[in-house]
Amino acid sequence: MVNNNKNQSGKHYSVGVSRRRFLAATGATGIALGVAGCSGGGGEVDIDPTADIEGDVTVELSMDQDFADIQSGIQQALYDNGLNDNISIDILPGDFETGSRQTAFTQALDAGRSSPDVFMMDSGWTIPFIVREQLINLENGLTQETLDFVKNNYLETAVATASNPRSGDLYGVPLFPDYPVMQYRKDLVEEAGYSPEENNWSTEPMSWLEFAETVADVWDFHGGQSSFNYGFTTQAANYAGTACCTFNEMMTSFGGAYFGNHENLFGPVGERPVTVNEQPVTDTIRVMRSFMRGPDANNAHPDYPQISTSDLVEFTEEPARQPFTNGQALFHRNWPYAVNINLNEFGEDFGTMPLPFGVPESEGQYEGTGGTAAALGGWHLTINPNSNNLNAAAQTVAAFANEDVMLSLFALGGYLPPAPSVTEQATTEEVGMIANHLDTLSVAGQSTVPRPVTPVWPDQSPLISSEVHDAYTGAKSPSSALSSLQEDLEGTEQI
Amino acid sequence: MASETPPNESGTRLLMRPLNRLEMLSEQAYAYVLLLPAAILLGAIAFYPLVRTLTFSLRADDVFGADPFGKFVGFDNYIELLSGQALIPNQFVDPAMNEPLLRQALIVTLLFAVLSVFFETLIGFGQALILNQDFRGRRWVRVAIIIPWAVPVVIQAMIFWLMFNPTIGWGTDFMQWLGVFGDNPLANTSNSFIIVLVADIWKTSAFMALLILAGLQSVDRSLYDVARVSGASPWQQFKLITMPIVLPALLVAMLFRTMDAMRIYGVIDASTGCEQVPTLTCLVISSFNARRWASASAVAFLTAIVIGIMVLFYIWQFRRTEGGAI
Repeated sequence: MVNNNKNQSGKHYSVGVSRRRFLAATGATGIALGVAGCSGGGGEVDIDPTADIEGDVTVELSMDQDFADIQSGIQQALYDNGLNDNISIDILPGDFETGSRQTAFTQALDAGRSSPDVFMMDSGWTIPFIVREQLINLENGLTQETLDFVKNNYLETAVATASNPRSGDLYGVPLFPDYPVMQYRKDLVEEAGYSPEENNWSTEPMSWLEFAETVADVWDFHGGQSSFNYGFTTQAANYAGTACCTFNEMMTSFGGAYFGNHENLFGPVGERPVTVNEQPVTDTIRVMRSFMRGPDANNAHPDYPQISTSDLVEFTEEPARQPFTNGQALFHRNWPYAVNINLNEFGEDFGTMPLPFGVPESEGQYEGTGGTAAALGGWHLTINPNSNNLNAAAQTVAAFANEDVMLSLFALGGYLPPAPSVTEQATTEEVGMIANHLDTLSVAGQSTVPRPVTPVWPDQSPLISSEVHDAYTGAKSPSSALSSLQEDLEGTEQI
Repeated sequence: MASETPPNESGTRLLMRPLNRLEMLSEQAYAYVLLLPAAILLGAIAFYPLVRTLTFSLRADDVFGADPFGKFVGFDNYIELLSGQALIPNQFVDPAMNEPLLRQALIVTLLFAVLSVFFETLIGFGQALILNQDFRGRRWVRVAIIIPWAVPVVIQAMIFWLMFNPTIGWGTDFMQWLGVFGDNPLANTSNSFIIVLVADIWKTSAFMALLILAGLQSVDRSLYDVARVSGASPWQQFKLITMPIVLPALLVAMLFRTMDAMRIYGVIDASTGCEQVPTLTCLVISSFNARRWASASAVAFLTAIVIGIMVLFYIWQFRRTEGGAI
């Protein structure tokens, strides 16, 4: 075995190592690692969030390509707001698709890899890693000042998805939240005789019925399907986004829930009721079928007009956005990333409003339901317990918990600040034209509904999306699909 | 006068002894000796992972713990899979038939394998017979037939996905006009199955054609002349000359394609999605992604058993043909 190294003059030299010495060394290292309990897994780790970092340290953050593209801007923002000059960041662009990234992080943590130092984790699957104690508990990794700042100023639901549901300990710092808004062609709506500004569309949610009648009217005014393919586009494909988000938020707005009161969202698994085979959930499916097939279709809601087509059952985010951006749809439900794209396309002719509600907040069947509801997406920063740079990683994560850094991220990449007060105060000079839509985003941010993330959510999510999709397409009746779903979810709760 | 054997000569004799023994071996034993290194290599890279997969599959899933494997549960995972009671995104098989047939991974995979190999063999044979003729432009026809085989799987899948995309594709309207598909084929299990099947046949028939063509080109043309002089019809020529000679190559091609079809994944993942066409490999990956590694291992091991049974079927069914004596 040969080691290649560089001497001081930079030339390569070789060091011969006998097989006997190699075996002795690897054996001793293995025993030492075993005794120290470092052969995998997290465990208690000492971190000093105020430690002096001597010498240059590079902290690796596994994020995505969009963040890698603005790495220098992020680095500067962190330095400007107090990150130790000895710490530099290296953003590793991970897979853009959330499921693939979850798989990659699972493998990295199960294998005890030391790289990356920091993970950017989807708020939809951070809790399973927390419950399995595979991440650093930030109660010991951040200063009390930082912890207080996060817990007191950040979006409460975002912090909840970064905390241990049993102990309440913080394991991740929310980087940016995501919550959808309804986007629409203001010019076409006004041409049809409506006055969004006079009626405060940007901040006062309308009911799904009023919304549907408005869309149907505007669509009809502009020639219907012969002029615009869709009155409204959203995501209703058989994929994770239906279970976590579009169906979840619409069902919530109709007063329904997967597991009863929202205090049950994060467990305890097996001790909460499964409540999907109920009227508000059935109503949600029937309304969506009306939107796609019209009020006279089988299992459609007779009061709601048709405002789209059955293509919705194939739409995820981008296929739903493209017809709107291409001028083939009038209204569109999507995340803030689409606001930026559509603003560039339509400018002043573009409007946003909070998502409509099914029943008023006071009429929700369960605590936390009813009224407008926006599914909570977003991403957190968490620390790898196997990192070789724990102190530097903790200080880097703490540096993101800063209002100016949040504003920089908003300006650099359009990432919403996790602290609502920062979002509300942003100006056009600081963040561009999206500042004109912050009032809508603020309302959406106050009505977020997280997905019910527990260690069994990866089992439950495909069951929900599959049964709901079957009901949307008509492969099953709503009652049959929800009855199956009730049984399946009860099965997953009995682990 | 007595003479002593030089030391280096005795060493050479020692070295020669196993070589001499090798020379004395029967043909069959010699063949096994030659296969030994390959068998050891195969054991290391194929059988060891299989054995590990089996041991993983005998543990429980632990979605709550840092270690994804729980306690030893024996064959419980297999019992749950085969009784349709497993907590995985789609059932392996559902004897109670609560799940539609095209939502059961084993049924979907077997159906796909049988149909795709049947049509690919049929079309591939036809293509090979055409390519085996002498005609002007044969070179270009050969290129045209082979092109789909050269297309990467993701591109192949995207072609069909775009064809049936609701906003830009033309396939849905056309198939609706024919009365075959409904409104949203990519959201419909049976329509999606047909799309994936056709995509696979489109691409892989060329593979069959190439292997069969190799067999066809080994046929001595003078046999046909003799047959014609003897008054044999074209069908008799095919049945009595072409088919027996091509059969060994055909069986090898069918065996390869069957094994590939049983592991189909890429074209599904990039076109209709595993939600619509849940094959066995889809089930392994979706279970793995849900961190049900023990269940995923059990599905993977059962898949290997099913493929093994199909291979044995080929070998047994065609043991008397040259190609069957694999």
